This record gives sequence, C-alpha cells and structure tokens, in this order.
Amino acid sequence: MFLGFFNFLRRKGMDITLAEWLTLMEALDKGLCGSSLTDFYYVSRMILVKNETEYDKYDALFLEYFKGIRSNTDDVTDAMLRWLDKTDLQEEYADQWEQHKHFMNQQEQGEMDHAQIKEEYEEVKANQDSEHTGGSTWIGTMGKTAFGNLGGNLGGIRIGGTTGYQSAFEVIGERKFKDFRNDRILDNRQFMTALRRLRQYSSRLDLPEDEFSLDKTVDATCESGGYLKIIYERPRKNTVKLLLLMDSGGTMIPYSGLMNELFQSVHKSNHYKDVKTYYFHNCIYSHVYNDPECENGNWIETEWLFRNLDSSYKVIIVGDAAMAPEELYSDTGNYRGPNGGLAGWDWLRLMKRNYKKIVWLNPKMAPGHAPWREAETAVKSLIPMYKLTVDGLKLAMDELMR
Amino acid sequence: MKEVFKGSSTYVASPELMSAVNVSIALGKPLLIKGEPGTGKTMLAQAVSQALGKRLIIWNIKSTTKAQEGLYVYDTVQRLYDSQFGEEGVDDISRYIKLGKMGEAFDSDEQVVLLIDEIDKADLEFPNDLLWELDQMEFYIHETKRTVKAKHRPIVIITSNAEKELPDAFLRRCIFHYIDFPDTKLMREIVFTHFDDIEENMLADALDAFYAIRDKREIRKKPSTSEFIDWISALKLSGIAPAKIKETLPFLGVIIKKDEDLEAIKKTGLM
Repeated sequence: MFLGFFNFLRRKGMDITLAEWLTLMEALDKGLCGSSLTDFYYVSRMILVKNETEYDKYDALFLEYFKGIRSNTDDVTDAMLRWLDKTDLQEEYADQWEQHKHFMNQQEQGEMDHAQIKEEYEEVKANQDSEHTGGSTWIGTMGKTAFGNLGGNLGGIRIGGTTGYQSAFEVIGERKFKDFRNDRILDNRQFMTALRRLRQYSSRLDLPEDEFSLDKTVDATCESGGYLKIIYERPRKNTVKLLLLMDSGGTMIPYSGLMNELFQSVHKSNHYKDVKTYYFHNCIYSHVYNDPECENGNWIETEWLFRNLDSSYKVIIVGDAAMAPEELYSDTGNYRGPNGGLAGWDWLRLMKRNYKKIVWLNPKMAPGHAPWREAETAVKSLIPMYKLTVDGLKLAMDELMR
Repeated sequence: MKEVFKGSSTYVASPELMSAVNVSIALGKPLLIKGEPGTGKTMLAQAVSQALGKRLIIWNIKSTTKAQEGLYVYDTVQRLYDSQFGEEGVDDISRYIKLGKMGEAFDSDEQVVLLIDEIDKADLEFPNDLLWELDQMEFYIHETKRTVKAKHRPIVIITSNAEKELPDAFLRRCIFHYIDFPDTKLMREIVFTHFDDIEENMLADALDAFYAIRDKREIRKKPSTSEFIDWISALKLSGIAPAKIKETLPFLGVIIKKDEDLEAIKKTGLM
C-alpha cells in the first residue's frame, strides 16, 4: 500500500528503511491512521522522520505527493468524497497541475476571503447534484473554483478527510519547522552539536597509565581471592586542538551575528584540549589580530603561529573569501597592515603547508563554480571550503577528522 | 486499542503528541521525545502513567551511565565481603544480582511505564547497547544463566535534549515526536491546568510579555514553559496590577536566568 509514496520519498532523498515502512504498514493495519489523510500525515511522520530538521523536507514532499487531496471540512457527502478521491489521477496530472496553478495565479487573485469562500461553497453545495470535472462553478476536480480537489486555487477550501486536529496541510502550510532545516544557516545549539563531531579520544600509547580504574581493581581483587590489586588505566581525553581564524573584514559585517554564534559554540564546547582564536581582515597576511577590531599593533606574527602551534592543531578559517584579486595576489595587497613580503595567496599556502587539517567555512559561498568570484574559486582550490550551515559544518568536521 | 492516552488533568498534550503516544503503545515501540528544555518531556511519562494507571519507573541517564546498569549489576564487592565474613549463601550468585531500572520494568508482574530520561547525556554508544533489549524486551544474565524477559511489554518513553545525535540504528526503532514550543493557545490551556482562577487581563499581558521576550534575538537562553508557570504564580501572589506587567516586567529573574539576558532586556525593553 502506498508503495509509490515510499519510493517517491526515497527517490527524493529521505533516508527511510524498509523496516520503518513496514512499521507504518503495521500502524495502518491496526487502524491507527483512521481513514484521514491528516492522521496519516502525523503517523507517517512520527514513524518515518526521526529528526526535527527533516520535518520541513518531509512536509514539502508530502504536500508534493498528495497535493491533489487537500482536505479540512468534514461535512461533505460520501459521493462527493468519491469524486474527489482521484489519487490515481494525480500522477498523471502532476505536470498539468503545475501549469494550472501558474495559470490560476495569474487569473484569480491569490488570496481570497475565507469566510466568503465558505459561504459560496455552502451555497453551491446545496445546489449541486452531479459530478463535476473542470468548470468554474461547481465543486469538483481540476476546476478553478475555490472549492474541491485538484483545483488550481490555492487559497480555497479543501474537502475530504476528517477533522480532529489541525489539518495536515494547514500545518504544512505554516512551515513551522522551516527553522530546523539542515541547510539553513544555523544557530548556537546546532553548531555545538556539529562541533561535537570533532573528537578524538586518545588511545595513544605514549600517555602514562595514571587513572585509577575502580572496576578493574575490583575485578582483579576478586580474581585474586580478596587480595587487593590496584589497576591503573590510560585516561581517555579528547586530544583535539583547534585554531580558529575569523575574518572580521567589512564584507563580513552582515554575518557578525552568525560569527558570534560560532565563536560562542566553539568556546562553550569545552571538550577540546585547546582552542586558540585569532582574527584577520579579508585575508591572512604576516600578522593575525588578537581581537575582532583588528587594530594595528594588537597582533601576533603569523609565523609565531607556525612555530608555536604545531601541525596537530586543526584549523578552521571562517570568512567570505571575497578579496579583491590584488588583495590575494599582490605582495603589497594588504591595505591595512604589513604584507610581510608575501602575497595573501602565499600566506594561505603556508597555512596549508603547516596545518594538514584545515578547512574554510564560508557564510556566503556560491554554489558550484562561480567564475565571477575569482578569489573564492582560488581559495577553494587550495583549502576545502564549506558553507557555514549545519550540513556544511558537519562535512567540514568530517574533513578535519579524516 | 484498549488504552488511549488523552492527556491528564495536569498535563496538556497536543493532539499530535497524544497520537504519538497511542501509536507507540499500539505498535509496542519506544517513543522518542525531543524538544527544548522545559517543554514537559519528562512530565509526559508521568502523565501517561497517571492517565493509564500504570506504575512509572524512571531511569535517569547521566554522562557516566552505562547500558549494563539499566539491566542488572552484579555486586561483586558485596559478595567479596560476605565471603570474607563467612556469610551464608555466598555460593548463590543470584543473591548478588541486582536488577537495574530496565530489568525492573521487564520483571514487573504488570505493565509499567519506563522513562529513560535524557538519553543523550550518556556516551555516544549508549543507545546502541540497548538495541537488542528494546527490540526483544529481554536480556541474559551471564552469571546466573537466566534470561529476563518482559512479562508485559513496558511502555517505553525516551527523552532527549538533542545534546548528542543519536545513532541511526536506534532511531529507526523508535517512534519520534518533536515537542514544539507551545503556541499561545496551548500555553493558555497549560496555565489553566495549573491555576484554577486566574485573571484574564493578567494572563493576556503576561503571555504577550513572555512571547515578546522569547522572540528577542539577543536572548541567549529562552525561557521555557515551566519558567513561565513559575512567573505566573509569582505575579499572582504579588497581586501586581496587570497593566503594569508589560511596563515594569516584575520578577524578571524568574524567567531570565542569565545576567547578559537581563541586561539586554533592561536596555531595550520589550520593543
């Protein structure tokens, strides 16, 4: 049953297993969905979707698949429901529906007065006595009145299904879970969850065995018949050391809130062995700054970094990589401070050479190839670049852990 | 379905949540509840146990909790002591096997509600270690060669604050529900279950102020439902004039717990 829906969801990238699908079928068998689409929506969501970040995606797909059968009034006669139950039709009409919708939006005003529609609907329903397909007056399928099914009018009344709680499409329409989407620019808590991926428990042999192990001591003591035997173990600690370099140039101002969130999350994630943060303006040159103001003098030499923070540091550079070509390629390109005899590009190459694990997070990365953004394309070729979103951050963390 | 959960006198559940509870009971699968702190995840289990008249067993998870502890613990130290002092029955290992919370739930003679609270606090591998037990509702005690099998499949409710991501294999076995922060309408209902008589003016103004605070971008820790309830009771006790609530924001410390957030609100007011 609904196998088409299962295939559709999988094709569109929802990660659903057969076991979950069978669970849903079991729920259907037990009558947990009633016979309403709205119940089906909730039950299928709770069984198939296991993360609130996927709710929005699921909503969109559900709407796409079932867009023909909209419903929220319950006082419709059975016959009318049968006419409207054209699930088999909707695959066929899917394309047409899109065109239709487009056409309708041009034809009729997008937003209609709900009460007025309802009134008209009651009136039409009272008068109607036969099935209708197409047309612009009666309740039926593929029509362009505000009532009925498969119709193009987006603001109208839907017929069918039962009420009980908020209709599926009302919920979906609100897109309440839009904020949870994985590809959205993310917030603090989500940052922190992503940053937790960056962990590497030491199983290294060079650490001393200096942590008292109660369990093993008890076991060993029992083994030796009550004669006390103390066991020490190597401590398990996260050995990840992090160097965070943040762009605080003028073009980054729109992202200052986001940068602040990232900064907070990194520093709240106190499970790292060490975190160092420095700032730069547009590109990294001979000096990096101690604070986001990037004032001349309040800085340390980039080479000091190379000397003092060894290559075991994992480096995250955050910036929009929107330098002017001369800022990147000219050895006098730094208009705010010294260049140190090298162009920005060379300094970036030095970074890359010193730190094996290095990623670039970009809050406004262009998708795919963006030849018009020369600097970004160049930097991308040198340092793996990810968009500063939940998904991007996860990928970046995976890259750092590889 | 013989038992249907419809919320309880002190707990207002959204229809989606009720349906999630009922589906999970009917399918015999654990219900995983996620949501902001203070949205009543833990209270849900209490409400379910109360509404269905079943005993509630709570297993609180901490960062050091091991899956094994929930099943059973073999008290070797006690046995060692007893053997040294020549106590009787030392050779009977089963005397030293103590069932954990999950074991208790399985071993119970009647169906119980088992709450596994804040599962994300534990180690990353923790949920995976419970897969078999949650699926089959049984486990094996090596020391006594005994299999503990659930006489009545417990209603399992698991809560998570999303501090860690849970493993896929675990998620696939659960019914999932995300408790969204209640809207004003639901919040009203929640308030009414806690207070019998409440002035309409006061409630309306307090709600306005509360949601305005939550909407502020500068606030780091958004106040939760339970904090709102505390605030209402403080406002009620003080008998402050409703008109003043939005203006003066009395007892702000009840809902705002961070100094920075307090500063931010004092500086900008509600607008």
